[in-house]
Amino acid sequence: MVTVSILVLFTLGFVAAALLGISSKILAVEEDPRVEAVVEVLPGANCGGCGFAGCENYAQAVVSDPDVPAGLCVAGGEETSIKVGNLTGKIVAAMEPQISFRRCEKIEGKVAVRFEYQGMPSCAAAALLGSGQGTDQCAYSCLGHGDCIKVCPFDALYLRNGLVRVDPSRCTGCGVCTRACPRNILEVIPRRARVMVCCSTCDKGKKVMEICEAGCIQCLKCKRKCPAGAVSVVDGHVHIDQQLCLGYGEECGMACAEACDRRILRRLVSTPDADGDRFTAPHPPAIPVNAASTEPQA
Amino acid sequence: MDIFQLFISAIFVNNIVLAQYLGNCPYLGCSKERGVAFGMGSAVVFVTIMATLFTWLIQTFVLIPFGIEYLQTLAFILVIAALVQFVEMFLKKLIPPLYKSLGIFLPLITTNCCVLGIALLVQRKQYSLGTSLAYALASTLGFMLALLLMSGIRERLDTCRVPKALKGTPIALIMAGLMSLAFMAFRGMAA
Amino acid sequence: MPGTLWKEFSKGLWKELPPFRLVLGLCPVLAVTKSASTGLGMGMAVIFVLALSNMIISLVRNMIPQKVRIACFIVISASLVVAVELLMQAYAYPLYQSLGIFVPLIVVNCIILGRAEAFAGKNPVLPSLADGLGMGLGYTLSLTFLGAVRELFGAGTLFGAPVMPSAFEPFAFMVEAPGAFVCLGLILASMNYLNAHMARRRGEEEPENPRSGCMACGACSRANSPAQQ
Repeated sequence: MVTVSILVLFTLGFVAAALLGISSKILAVEEDPRVEAVVEVLPGANCGGCGFAGCENYAQAVVSDPDVPAGLCVAGGEETSIKVGNLTGKIVAAMEPQISFRRCEKIEGKVAVRFEYQGMPSCAAAALLGSGQGTDQCAYSCLGHGDCIKVCPFDALYLRNGLVRVDPSRCTGCGVCTRACPRNILEVIPRRARVMVCCSTCDKGKKVMEICEAGCIQCLKCKRKCPAGAVSVVDGHVHIDQQLCLGYGEECGMACAEACDRRILRRLVSTPDADGDRFTAPHPPAIPVNAASTEPQA
Repeated sequence: MDIFQLFISAIFVNNIVLAQYLGNCPYLGCSKERGVAFGMGSAVVFVTIMATLFTWLIQTFVLIPFGIEYLQTLAFILVIAALVQFVEMFLKKLIPPLYKSLGIFLPLITTNCCVLGIALLVQRKQYSLGTSLAYALASTLGFMLALLLMSGIRERLDTCRVPKALKGTPIALIMAGLMSLAFMAFRGMAA
Repeated sequence: MPGTLWKEFSKGLWKELPPFRLVLGLCPVLAVTKSASTGLGMGMAVIFVLALSNMIISLVRNMIPQKVRIACFIVISASLVVAVELLMQAYAYPLYQSLGIFVPLIVVNCIILGRAEAFAGKNPVLPSLADGLGMGLGYTLSLTFLGAVRELFGAGTLFGAPVMPSAFEPFAFMVEAPGAFVCLGLILASMNYLNAHMARRRGEEEPENPRSGCMACGACSRANSPAQQ
């Protein structure tokens, strides 16, 4: 009995092992080992920032298709791109580290709510209410239910004082949040960016004056003052072309931010303020970018 | 036993998750999104039927003739583990699209008590091969039904305010309890 | 050394209490807790398998090739389960009958594989044994507790002895499947509440609720992929 059981189990195990061994030879799939190597290098967050359906898809494309560049992984940044480039033999152009930026200061602007919202905690739902005008007086405000926070693959967003904040130590600029925001308030900008519009309203100046103290009234003084022609009205709101702005350099002395009486265009600093909002410096006194020693806000 | 009755009984009355308590880990773990639930469900259907077939053959033609039925558990888990590995390789080579959708679930299935549970259950009930396979199909369809219903509920649940302590698994378990209560109502249908 | 052993042992009793904190191995938790005594019996079987499998795996951990380690773990635990089955048939046949299919199913209980993969495969023998014993004991206590609660309300008895006043009408709901789910859910919720309360008391940040099911077990690659979080 003991011998039989040992024999049977041994045979069973042996047959199974042999079968698996043989089939692993016959059914072996020749995978390009580079694909696996690239997958290893990529962050594995499957954020879709590269435009592919996930890290593995991108790895496959970048290995097999010579037209797919190696520098598409925004989340991994330059380091990852160089590694991918080395693995696939592609040349990587210098990567600009990016970060997400919230174009709304509704708390500072004292935007009133139209009605108290008790529905499900989703910006997309809240934004649809009131014939699409949303629950705030402003139709372009950050609703603060955190749809972007839910989708962020890097846990880089958080809520404080009713507004979404970006943690620069975690944000990779992958842009998933910009697609999740029903109001398009988040924008991905270069980390080096010196100035940014802190409002994305498309409303007329008169209405903005009534509802928000920190809203853009589109006086376009900034546009006239910018020597680089980087400020323009895109999709109904003031937009800064960061490439043009950075390309021009600092000689302008941030004429646009100086010109803005309502402090909509603000200089960006690298130190956080009390709310953990690392990027908006108050207008007066203007603080130069990267001046880490100065305290931006009390 | 009538095949139709067997199906109704295995899918609704004695639902494998809600009445027989098998496969609860994937039921709670893989039911957060409908796509994942469907993938997991179909992988379980596929593997369980294969496993039932092979374990039935092993039991009838190896274990019983040698009189070593007590090694059932060991032999079955061996067969299932090998089978899962084999299926993974097979799909990867020959049916890549199917592998893409089921592949990630396959390693998980070895430790899914559904598969071994059904293989053991059909032995305890002493079904014939055909009935065993039908039972395996029906039970796993029941598993898939429960998983899909649960994932639908949980997707809805995501948008609701749940008390902090109940968030996650506790509320899922309570939902499962309510679902199982609903399924209990099928009891009158088949004895 | 005894200190660390005690730590490995005691973490299974509260901090990583298997079914409630790690949310592992739920099927038997639900299925065999109709009464406190079946829960206790199942728990004993799990202690036996878990402690021995942890010990054996940690003994042979350096001999197992990385690629087939899961298969090896399964074979080891399956052999132990067969041993338990035979022991139960010999000495506790009524219990074996009432546990039914869930004795052989200890093999696929993620707690066994999970501990093998997460602990025994990486640690020396004594800590692994302590870990297995602690986890097993925690599992047993949880099963017994859940069984006791369900038995108390479902039948008005405790370990078979009537304890409720005669006017008490048992809720049939509790011994049926829905009762198992709801009861476990409520226990998990109260554990979460208690933990959050204790953390607040200590002035720490409130801990996140434990994640459920197979994602927490660590035996498979999917547990580590960030896309699933």
